[in-house]
Parts: sequence; C-alpha cells; structure tokens
Amino acid sequence: MTRFRPDLSDEPAVRLDGVSLAYERTGEVLTEIDLVLRQGSFTFLTGPSGAGKSSLLKLMYLAHAPTRGAIRLFGRQTHELKRKQLAATRRRIGVVFQEFRLLNHLTAFENVALPLRVAGQKSDQYQNEVIDLLRWVGLGERVDAPTPSLSGGEQQRVAIARALINKPDLLIADEPTGNVDPEMGRKILRLFAELNKRVGTTILIATHDLELIREFDVPVLRLSDGLLVRDVEYGAAE
Amino acid sequence: MSRRESPLLPVADAREAALFFVIGALCFLAALAALTTRGTYKAAEAWGAQIEGDITVVMRDTDRRTAEQAADQAASLANVFEARVLSREEVEALLEPSLGPGGMPDGLPIPMLMAVQADMAVGDPSEDINQILEGLGIDGDVAGNAGYADNVRGALGVLRLVAMSIVALLSATAIAVIAFATHAALLARRDIVDVLHLSGAEDRYIAGLFERRFWILALQAGMGGAVAALMVTALIVFTGSGSQGVESQLLPRLSLDFWDIVILLVTPIVAGLAARMAARLTVLASLKDTL
Repeated sequence: MTRFRPDLSDEPAVRLDGVSLAYERTGEVLTEIDLVLRQGSFTFLTGPSGAGKSSLLKLMYLAHAPTRGAIRLFGRQTHELKRKQLAATRRRIGVVFQEFRLLNHLTAFENVALPLRVAGQKSDQYQNEVIDLLRWVGLGERVDAPTPSLSGGEQQRVAIARALINKPDLLIADEPTGNVDPEMGRKILRLFAELNKRVGTTILIATHDLELIREFDVPVLRLSDGLLVRDVEYGAAE
Repeated sequence: MSRRESPLLPVADAREAALFFVIGALCFLAALAALTTRGTYKAAEAWGAQIEGDITVVMRDTDRRTAEQAADQAASLANVFEARVLSREEVEALLEPSLGPGGMPDGLPIPMLMAVQADMAVGDPSEDINQILEGLGIDGDVAGNAGYADNVRGALGVLRLVAMSIVALLSATAIAVIAFATHAALLARRDIVDVLHLSGAEDRYIAGLFERRFWILALQAGMGGAVAALMVTALIVFTGSGSQGVESQLLPRLSLDFWDIVILLVTPIVAGLAARMAARLTVLASLKDTL
C-alpha cells in the first residue's frame, strides 16, 4: 500500500504566519514569527540560549499549539487537523530531540524501530531497514545494545536514526551535535546534507555551533528574544 | 526470522509493585466483605424462617394422652414438620425465668404445651390446629410468632441493608483507590507517553498499551486477593462447621457455594476493569493537554 501524498509542489513544507507562543510560567517566548521552509530546503536556526529555538521547533513538530497565528504543515492548517490527522502528520516529521528521548528499556534497534512499530508495522517488515540505518550512522555493531550502555554520542546517533527511519518529509533536529565531538558533529551534519540532497527531505537544524554552520552553504535564521531575523553574518542568502 | 519485540512499556517497577499490593489487599477485603454479607443474608433468612415457623399451642384442662393425640394429628398436617407435647421438665425450664429456679409448686396447674414447627412457605397451619383442638374437645390457644417474626424480619432487613452498604462502600473505595493508584503510576510514565505521542502514535494506541498493562496487573492482584479471601473463608467454614446452638445461628453462615465462587471470580475482573478504565482516562486526559 502506498501512502497518499498530495502534490505540494507549490506548497512550502512549513509556513508560519504571525505565530506567537506564550507559556503560563514564563510568558511570551516567541513573537509574531513569519517563516517559510520550502520543500527540500536545508536551514539552520541559531540564536543564544533562551532565545526560543526549542520552542519554535516544538511548534513545528506539533508538541505545542501556538498562542496566536497559524501554522501550515504540508499544505494543511494544523489547527484544523483532527487528532488522528495530527498523529499522521507527526509520522511525516522526524525529530531529533536535544535530550534524545530514547526509551531506556529498549535496545538501539527497538528505539529506532519505534515510529514504525507505532504505525502498526511488524518487525519482519522493518528489521533490515533498521539495521541498515544503524549501520549508516555507524552503529552496526551496537544494534542490540541496551540504550543505557550506549555513550552520549551513540545515543545521539540512535536518536538520529529514529528520526530518519520513517523517511520523513521534514526533519527537525534540536542541537543534534550538542553531545558529540566536533568530528562526529561534522559527520552528522554531512549525513543530514546528504539526506537532503539525495532524498529531498526538508531539514531544519537548531544549533549554536557557528563553526559547524560556517562549513555549510545554507540559509541561517537567527532567533533573538523570541523574534526571528535573517542571519547576515553566516550562511547563504535565500 | 523476525526479532522478538520488547514491550513498549518497561517492566513493572517498585511503584507498580506497590499498586499490585494495594489492589490485592483491597480485593481481599472486598471479596471477604461480600462473602460475609452473603453469609449474613443466609443466616438471617434461616433464622427468620425458623422463628416464623415456630408455633406454641397452649392446651388447658386436658390430660397428656389427649394432648399427644392432638400433637399426632397436627404432625400429620402437610405444612407441619414436627409437633410434640413438651414434658413437664421442659415447661418448667420455660417458666423458670418468670418463676425462679426453685421449681414449680406441686399444686400449680400447668397447661400442656405443644411445640409445632411449621413450614410457613406452604401455609400457616394455625387454623387447622385450632380445628384439631376443637375436634378433641381441648380448650386451647394457638400462639404463632408472626407478630414477633415481623419485628425480627424488620431488624434483619436493617442488618442486611447495613451489610450491603458496607460492601458497596468498600467496593467503591477499592475502585477509587485502584483508579487513583493507577493514575499515580501512570504519571510516572509520562515520558514514555510523550515519546510515543511525538513518534506519531495515535491516542488510542497509547491508551491501549497502558490499558493492557494495568488490566493484567489488576487482574493478577485481584486474583491474589480473591484467592486469599477464598482461603480465609475455607478456613472459617472448616473450623466453624462444628458450631452448634442458638448463637451459631446468629453468626454469618459462610459457605462456598456457586454464588460465593461467582463473587470470588468477579472480584478480580472488577478490579481489572477499574484499573483499565482509570488507565484509559488518565492517558487520554494527559494527551488532551497536548496538541
């Protein structure tokens, strides 16, 4: 069975119109964000700690609803989606969380397979795919390793493999190089760039690692005090 | 060959062990209370039926032989189990509370008393006994316990109501505690709910995982409680089977008949359903807070 995919050639993967987000405790963290991520684009999001990078990503991977404004994902207004449609939309988004969010009682293989499993697939359908992906991120020898036995860098790569296993249309990564050495960080970002180039996955990466960003000729957005600005010093102009 | 999949929820931890104990203990108490209430019901029924069926016939100015003829005729009635004339010693024993232990004065005229045990379910034999007395020319009165039995039945009704209320209250408390403990155990698993949710799992899928986990946990704990209640009841039935006398009739009649077994079987199922429902509502409520 083939998944139905509407023709979105004219639709951006992500579109935010006047989006603001306020938390009960801390007040407004994002203000009037307008943003378009074209399909197949590769974008960095940067800014100082507390600028609202993670909050902006959370809006995009549907962890929160905006306080004001509208979010359009893959051509659909998110606030119009029913809960089942929201779940289906989440399956089109791969997320690498800053804190990994791996399930400690599962192995590396089982963590990577999680999005397929919750979508109803059986292990014989996906096991080769999962193992191949784990090999691709350099964990071919750690397939059945329990999560707590993995190093920080290995856990990061398991989290990346989990985000990619569904062949997502949109990949969102929050500080994906935060827990690895610069060489591994570079390798991970190259891996994302390759994915973007070969498969056309739309990628948004939040990072404060400006040295790494400098190596990629892609647009960089900067968040500052909850406001989104184009970074003129780093990255390429759109 | 496909790989073995670990459960998406981790194995039970200390919180769930505590929940297991709480559910088991509550099921034990609830099952025991239900069995005791049934026993009380049965004792009340038996006691009430016995009191209602006791009829005393006072026969004045007649000899023992005529009185025994009346008793024989009464005993042949279809709704009479037993009819017999009381001996003088038995009558004296009955009158002792009124006349004291010194014995009856020799000259005191004592009426003959006939004790009749009737089957009131078939019908009240008082009228037939009156006719027997008339036929034998005996001046007598038939004194049934109907009025007294009504009072006893009223008291037993209150007793039943209290017992039922206790069972209902205990069951409601057990269900509420199970629901609350399940809710608390689930909140500790919030991180897993979030990961599954953001991985694209539907609400029903996530709720189903927790429902199954807590249904099995509560079912096992409930079975443990029910088995413990069964053992205690069996012990009481076994050790208490030799009790005799009036006082034993006032005690709950614990037994292990069909309906008692039904109670023991239903207890873990109710516990399981309560935990399952609590798990479902808790997960769905926590997901409702998310987008």
